[in-house]
Amino acid sequence: MKRVINHSKDWKLTEDIKTGFTVPESYFTCIEDELFSKLIEEKLPKHNGFKTPKSYFEELEDLIIKKTKKGKVITLKRKKIKLISVAASIALLLFFGSNFIFNNNNTELSSEEIISWLDVNANLLSNDEIAFALTELNINDINPYLAIKNEDIVESLLNSNDLDYLIEDINTK
Amino acid sequence: METQQSLFISSLQEPETKEKAFKRLVQEYKERLYWHIRKIVISHDDADDVLQNTFIKVFKGIDKFKQDSKLYSWMYRIATNESITFINKRARERNIDITEMKQEMVSNLQSDVWFSGNDIQIILQEAVARLPKKQQLVFNMKYFDHLKYQEISEILGTSVGGLKASYFQAVKKIENYIINKHN
Repeated sequence: MKRVINHSKDWKLTEDIKTGFTVPESYFTCIEDELFSKLIEEKLPKHNGFKTPKSYFEELEDLIIKKTKKGKVITLKRKKIKLISVAASIALLLFFGSNFIFNNNNTELSSEEIISWLDVNANLLSNDEIAFALTELNINDINPYLAIKNEDIVESLLNSNDLDYLIEDINTK
Repeated sequence: METQQSLFISSLQEPETKEKAFKRLVQEYKERLYWHIRKIVISHDDADDVLQNTFIKVFKGIDKFKQDSKLYSWMYRIATNESITFINKRARERNIDITEMKQEMVSNLQSDVWFSGNDIQIILQEAVARLPKKQQLVFNMKYFDHLKYQEISEILGTSVGGLKASYFQAVKKIENYIINKHN
C-alpha cells in the first residue's frame, strides 16, 4: 500500500512538471464524495413539486415597485410599534417591579438588572399582551420620559415623503 | 462583464434611473430568488412575503452596495437571511424548534394547493427538512438550483471544500432517510 502511495506521489510530481497542468486544492480528496453524490442524485426526483398561482410572476414587478414607494411609511409604522413595544415592556416591568419591591423588603431590582431582563425577555411579550397592558396602564403616570411626544410624531410625519399613503392608511383603521 | 455589472449598479444607484433599473432587476431575478426562498419557507404565500421583503431590502440597500461581491450573490444572501429570519420568527412564535417547524411545514404539503408533488417528492422534502440548516441550503442550491460550488461559496461565505463535504453529507443522509422510509 505504502509503495502505491509513493508511486502515486512520484507520478503526480512528474505529471505536474511534464504538463504544467494543476488542479484546485483538495480536488483529489473530494472527488470520491462528488462521485458518490452523483450516484445518489440519480435516484432522487428531479423536480420538487412546488408550483405558483397563474400569472404570479407577471404581476410581481408592479407590486414590488408599488411597495418600494410605500416603504418609508411602513418603516415609520414599524418603528412606532417597536417604540411602543419597548415602552410598554418597560412600563410593565416598572409596574410589576415596583409591586415586587414594595411587597418584598429584602430584595431590590437595580437598573442593570432591569436592562438585562429586558435584553433577554423583551421578545416574550406578544402584541396582545402589550395592547392589554396599554389599556390598563398609563405610561405617562409611571414615567413621563417613556411617553411618545406629539412633537416626535409630527416630526416623523413631516419626514415621511408619502403622506397620502399614511392618510389613506389611517382612514382605513 | 464586470463593466456591464458596474454600469447596471450605477443605474440602480442614480435617482433618475433607479426605478427603471430596479424594475429590470426584479424581472431578471424574481424567479431565481423566488424558488430559492420557496424551498426554505415551503409555502407559496410565505415565499411571496419573503420575496417582496427581499426586493424592498435590495431597493433600500442598493445605494450602499460597494461591489465587493457580485450583485446576484449579495441578493441571494439577503434572500437567504430573510428566509431564515422568517422561519426563526415563526418557530419562536410557536415556541418550537426550527427543525420541528420545518418538518411541520413539510407535513402540510399534501394539502397545499400550490404543491403538485408525488409521494417521493414529499419524502425528499421531508428528508431535506431534517438536515442541519447549512446542509439544507447547500443541497437546495446545488441540486435544485444547479448553482456551482464557487457561486454557493460566494453566497454563503464557506470554502468550496467545505461545501462539497456538506453536500456529500446531505446527499448521504437523504439517501438513508429514503431507504428507511421504504423499508
